[in-house]
Amino acid sequence: MELELLVALTIAAALFGVGLYGSLSQTNLVMIIMGVELILAAALINMVAFWRYLHPDVIAAQMFVLIIMAVMAVEMAVGFGIAIARFRSRGSVEMEEARELRG
Amino acid sequence: MTLQVIFLAFFGIAAVWFGVVVFRTHSMVRSALALLFSQTAIGAMFLVMQAEFLGVLQIMMMATEMSVMAIFMVMFMMDPGGMGAMDMTHQKRLSLRAGAVGLVAALAVIWLPDWGPIAATVPSAGEQIKLLGFELLGRSMFIFESAGLTILTAMVAATMVAIAPQSETANKGARDGA
Amino acid sequence: MTIAIVLLAVVVGAYLVAVLERWSVHGQFSLSGPAVSALALLGRESLLARTPDRLFFEAGPILLLVAGLLGAAVIPLAPGLIITDLATGALFLNAALAYVLVALIMAGWGPNGAYGLIGGWRFLGQFIAYAMLIVMPITAVAMRAESLMNTQIVLSQTQLWNIAYQPLGFVLFVVAAMGLAWLPPLDLPSAPGDLAGGVEAEYTGVRLGILRLARMVIILVMASATVTFYLGGWLGPVLPAWAWSAIKTLIVAALMLFGGRYVPRVREARYLAISWKLGISLSLANILLVGVIALVVPI
Repeated sequence: MELELLVALTIAAALFGVGLYGSLSQTNLVMIIMGVELILAAALINMVAFWRYLHPDVIAAQMFVLIIMAVMAVEMAVGFGIAIARFRSRGSVEMEEARELRG
Repeated sequence: MTLQVIFLAFFGIAAVWFGVVVFRTHSMVRSALALLFSQTAIGAMFLVMQAEFLGVLQIMMMATEMSVMAIFMVMFMMDPGGMGAMDMTHQKRLSLRAGAVGLVAALAVIWLPDWGPIAATVPSAGEQIKLLGFELLGRSMFIFESAGLTILTAMVAATMVAIAPQSETANKGARDGA
Repeated sequence: MTIAIVLLAVVVGAYLVAVLERWSVHGQFSLSGPAVSALALLGRESLLARTPDRLFFEAGPILLLVAGLLGAAVIPLAPGLIITDLATGALFLNAALAYVLVALIMAGWGPNGAYGLIGGWRFLGQFIAYAMLIVMPITAVAMRAESLMNTQIVLSQTQLWNIAYQPLGFVLFVVAAMGLAWLPPLDLPSAPGDLAGGVEAEYTGVRLGILRLARMVIILVMASATVTFYLGGWLGPVLPAWAWSAIKTLIVAALMLFGGRYVPRVREARYLAISWKLGISLSLANILLVGVIALVVPI
């Protein structure tokens, strides 16, 4: 019986889809970060599900989850740092206005 | 249908539902806290999957992270209360398509292969914590340390990017007479 | 059965903490005072602010209460008298209490009023100050007990209580705990006289009653967590175990409630500066010290 694994992975897939939609459709930097957080959360579910249902004896999988959590925190810190700098110099973090790097 | 499947599905649907609410609501604080409850439901899924330490850690970390997120939303959004019902999306059709393609591709990868039999038992929670500790400070120590170093670098870099430019603080200091 | 006993203990304890709080504020000891106040609150009209975020307004006080009760669930009152002895109990306590912040932000944002809003966001600043000082002393405690289980942490103090083993950690933890329960001098979110009640400003009637009750539960949980981590929990001679838990918890709660009133209120930015510059260095030193002692001296 592998229903548990399939349920967990399907939910992770749904969260991945929602996060991808969000991070592409939102115009505000903070909302885009929220979309990325959802995608990373989907990755977390996958890691834990694979650990639990396929390889419960490989504890390195849990360590990988810790690393992903660290990545989430780092992503937020750096994202907000950039947001503050941009808000200070341009007065908004709307990504429609951020076209300096456009070719 | 075991009890585990039912709980997994329940918390999972809650997580997805709150994830959708994040992008549907106009109120920014609601949006951030919906993301928090989505992450909390994911933490509850970890608890159902008997990863006690990770579940509790996820529930704890996300409370802080998403509250900080909420204040940044209020600071940087044009319409934090959502009373103006402002539209803050672009390229909606493209994003919907990308999200759907991502979902379908992931589902195909999930449902097509044969995963083989699933493990019935896992080490107990206390045993897991012990094993994780030995893993972190043993074989994976280098990875763990580099993660710590990465966080430190990110902290310093984010602070450096975020602090006010020198001229601004200098002027403010002069004005305040400090 | 255990759940009922622990819940009863929480209710009685919260009431006694309310008595103590009344004593510390008004200077008069009255066993019936809180009951009268609670009845008066129940009888009062429950006002609703104009265009509130209704969901948050209603959910804030309840989430605060739930966070406090979840925290109480992992605290041992006597051998065997604990709702759930999780393998990650000490961490779970943190996880539950992190939702105090969420609840206060919800309660502050919900009623659509300036005082509540400022109170809620102030608590976020305060949270960032105290969060590290809750976790890092607990790390040192868990290092000595070689376990995150709360019963194991209590048993590790059979020979010597942690307050003597790591006094530095005790001081840091108590200061952080007072920040968490927003007791004076760190009572910025409610700040009587400054913010007109802050988070509590827009609440009336039954909702205010729940908010006050939840705060008493949180003060009680912080006091009993201090007892569990530093004062040997239920350990003690002659008297039964539960009595020792009760006595120690009430003494710590009284010290926290009365002690802070003699210190001028600390602004959240200053609290943040002190806790990060001084507090974190001290708690790192504490972890190092405890590690060295645990390796060298077998107590």
